[in-house]
Order: sequence, then structure tokens, then C-alpha cells
Amino acid sequence: MNVEDIIKQYNEAIFDTNRDRALKVVRDAVEQGVTPEDAVFKIVLPAMDLMITAVNENFDANLAQHFLTARIADIVTAEMIPKFKQMSEVVGRVVIGTAPGDFHALGKRIVMGCLKARMIDVIDLGVNVPAERFVDEVIAHKAQLIGISALMVHTATGENGCRKVRRILQERGLQDRIKIIVGGAPYRFDHQLYKTVQADAWAEDGITAGKVIADLVKELQR
Amino acid sequence: MITGMERLVAAMNGTASDRIPVFCNLLDQGARELGISLEKYYAHGEYVAKAQLKMRKKFGHDNVWSLFYVGREAELLGCKKIVFAKDGPPNVEHFVINTYDDIHRLQIPDDVSAHPVFQESLKCLRILRQEVGGKYPICAYITASMTLPAMLMGMDKWMELLLLGPAEVRDELLAKCHDFLVKEVAAYRKAGADVFFYANFFGSTDAVPIKYFMEHSLPWIEKDISAVGTKGIVYFCAQARFNKVIDVVLGRTGIGAYYLSPLADIAEGKRIIAGRALTCGAINDIKLIDWSTEEIRSEVKRLMDAGMPGGKFLFTTAIMPYNIPEENIRTMLEAVYEFGRQGKR
Repeated sequence: MNVEDIIKQYNEAIFDTNRDRALKVVRDAVEQGVTPEDAVFKIVLPAMDLMITAVNENFDANLAQHFLTARIADIVTAEMIPKFKQMSEVVGRVVIGTAPGDFHALGKRIVMGCLKARMIDVIDLGVNVPAERFVDEVIAHKAQLIGISALMVHTATGENGCRKVRRILQERGLQDRIKIIVGGAPYRFDHQLYKTVQADAWAEDGITAGKVIADLVKELQR
Repeated sequence: MITGMERLVAAMNGTASDRIPVFCNLLDQGARELGISLEKYYAHGEYVAKAQLKMRKKFGHDNVWSLFYVGREAELLGCKKIVFAKDGPPNVEHFVINTYDDIHRLQIPDDVSAHPVFQESLKCLRILRQEVGGKYPICAYITASMTLPAMLMGMDKWMELLLLGPAEVRDELLAKCHDFLVKEVAAYRKAGADVFFYANFFGSTDAVPIKYFMEHSLPWIEKDISAVGTKGIVYFCAQARFNKVIDVVLGRTGIGAYYLSPLADIAEGKRIIAGRALTCGAINDIKLIDWSTEEIRSEVKRLMDAGMPGGKFLFTTAIMPYNIPEENIRTMLEAVYEFGRQGKR
């Protein structure tokens, strides 16, 4: 079976929210000679990009598919990386958490699964993260980016959330070196809200966030 | 003078009234109205009732709410910590379910209304019923069997269990949540609630694919509705879209009102409903925080143009964010009262 057929089968399984079938497609492919590198970069990553296209084209893509795409990407990447011929190079590092007062972890979890497959190291700060901690941890881990997830309007827009993270970055002279990305339901209902809260970028959903973060990391490294 | 209940009944029956009914979902604003903190406000049913009545009178909309905040249902099932904010809805911090054993141990109270948390809701409902019962619809918020687990264990863990199993544990939790829903609706009905926002994120195709919806979500929706009846039920997917499944939900359950997402195509939704039920068109109320008067009026008009032709239309909001300026609430409602006059268009 060629790689195109494998991608097709894998994507069908993802769109049917069938984790076991998707994992079997990848594992069978590796057994039949597809390299672990190709399993990640030519099957799992294109499936994520296809999901982003589906979202943009208003095709039938939904949270369950995003969740499974990220979950499976996470599992496959963890399985395949030890089998790579060369140690994979981490292309960037991001700290991620939910805004102060916000305990909704799903979006963050989807983003994390996607980032690992893009060879971006993720430091998970958990939920209800104070602004100071976002900045302290981004410095401590030499990360390039802070991801702040918020499901509610007041946690997205509150003075102690993204705005405060921005203020601390400015006070410490770090605003040119460290970018902030935000995501969560309020940003879907107001596409300009990320500017109001002084973030650098936002993403419509967790899968797209993986790509936006990867692009931002590349931009910072130029 | 025509009451909100008369407007609602007219809209549901497709008969004439002075204007379309308007549900303005003001919750946290009640604390500001009384000049107290959200934590103090939500601790007393009398405060919630007083503010609901005051806000209805002040803004002139057609409904009042018995809902304090969504996490109340988690408290009724054992949640021990709710985090209060200064400017937004309280948030569940303590999850009742952390392991599968917690699911086996979860007990649904036989009498929901005997729970101390529900006592405050009863106080609120008693006042609302006394003051506006029969004149203005008293709304209650009930979470569907398939969505309630998200409040008990967190959405990420529930998605994992829902989609990946083990199926027998998932089904055990769903059955318990269904049992709770049935008892909760009975308690609310007995206390005088008229309209029930049946909240089900998993009833939306933004949440799950259609195939999954048909195989899993729909059977639980049918089970819920068959147990509680359709009276006063509004199909509500927490602002997510569901136009693609309206026809099947309507056909299989007979639910009489559909709260379309602020992101949905209202004209399309109305075409699908085709006069068989009430269409509730919601404004994207997050934008009300910053919109100008002209932008608010223009958006209200757009919604009315899409929803009003053919009647059986109700204008509504999402759960209004706390920091919407009062002036913008007034501008929105005045525009609805103006454009929503019947016989004028």
C-alpha cells in the first residue's frame, strides 16, 4: 500500500472518530515498511492539516474529531520518536495553561497533542495559572511562546489574564522575544478579541493552534 | 397590557401579538443591580429573585431566570468548591469524579429539592412564582444526560470516556445523569418553572460528527425527553450549531422550541423547522461589549429579517457577559422592541 492510501485510511478513521482503527492503520504501515519518521510527518501531520482545511471550509469537522486527532497524534508520536533513525530535533518550546480563574482543560490538551507531532516541546502549567507564573516558566524553560486558553469571557478578557502577562513581559523587556497566543470559545465569537487582550495571535480551535504556534516559533527563529 | 407569557404563547402558536417575545438572559448582572458581590448574591435565593424581577421591569424583556449559575448542578451532586469571580460566572473547581470508582460511587439524591443547595433555588422560585407566575415565563436550566458528566469530571476526561470508553463505565454514568435530569426537572416543575433550557453541547454537530450524533447523542436525547416530556423544553446546545440535526430531533422528540447558535444561519434553521416549532434566534452577545449603537441596531435588524418572516420567532441572547455596558443592553432591547413589532413589517 502506498503512503497516499495509508493517509486516506487514517483520515477516514479520524473523521469517523475511530481511535483503534486509526492507530491500527499507522502501526500496520510501520510493520509493512513505512518509516517511523514518515508515520509522523507524512501521515499524522497531513491529517492535522486536513482537519484545519476542513474547519476553514466549514466542512463537517467538530470537537470530537479534533480531540481524537490530537490524542492519536500524541500516541503515535510518543511511539514513533524512539524509533527514529536520528534523534528528532525539537524546533521550539511553548508553555501552556488556562487563564486565572479558568478550569477548562480540554482545548489546552488538544493543542498539546498537536504540538508534540510538530516537534515542539510543551510545558503544561495546568489550569488556573497566574500571569506571573506564565512569565516565570517561559523564562525558566527558555521557551519562545506562551499559550493561554480561556473558555469564559471574563477569564479571557480579565485584567489578571493575558493583559497582565503582556504587561509583565513589557516590564521585563521580553515582548520582542516571547509571543502570546490565546484560544477558547470567546475568541471564536469575537475574532478581534485577541487584539483587545493584547495577544499576538489566536486560533479558532486546538488543531489550528498547533499550526499557528509552529509558524510563530519559526518566525521567532528567523 | 400584554404579558411576556402571552407573547410567548402567541409566538409558539403562530398567532398575532404586539411584538415577538424577547428572552434576555441576564444572570450575573443581578449582583451589580443589588450592589453586592457575586458570591454574596448567589448565596441567597431571595437576592436572585429580587434582581431578576428588578431587571425584567427595568429592561422590559419577557422572561426571568431561576438559574443561579451552571455549576449548581455539580453542587447538587457533591461538588465542594466553586470559584467566584468579580466579573463573570462562577466556575466548578472541585470535580466530583476523578476515577472510575467515583462513577460507581456517585449517588443521585432521591429528592433533589431536599438538597440544601436546591433550597435556595426553591426560595427564588417561590418569589418569582408569587410575583410574575403565569405572566412572565420562569426559566430553568437543565443539563442533558450526555453533557452533565463534563461538569462532574471536566470536559477533557469526559470526552475521553465518551469517545474511547470503557463503554460500560460511560453508560453507567450516562444512566445516573439521566436519572438526575428526570428528578431535577420534576423538582423545578413542582416549584413553578415554565421553560427549560435543555442544555446539550453533544446535541450539536460542532461537538460530534453526524454519524456519532445519530448513534449516541440522539438515543440519549430521546430517552431524556421521553422521560421528562416536551412541555416547556427548549433545545439548547450551549451556543453551538445544530441546524444539520434539527429535522431529526424535531421528528424524533417533538421538542417545540430550538435555540439556534449565534453562529448559525437563522434563516436556514427556520426553513428546516418550517413552522413546526418555535425558532429562537440569538444575538452574538460577546460583541455587545464593544459594539456601537449603529452596530447593535444593524445586527438586531439582520436577525429579525432572517427570523421574523412567517412568525414563530423569539429573540434571545446567549448568557450575557457581565461587562456588557447597560447602555448597550438597552440599545439592543429597544431595537428588538422596534423591529420586532408585528404587523409593522
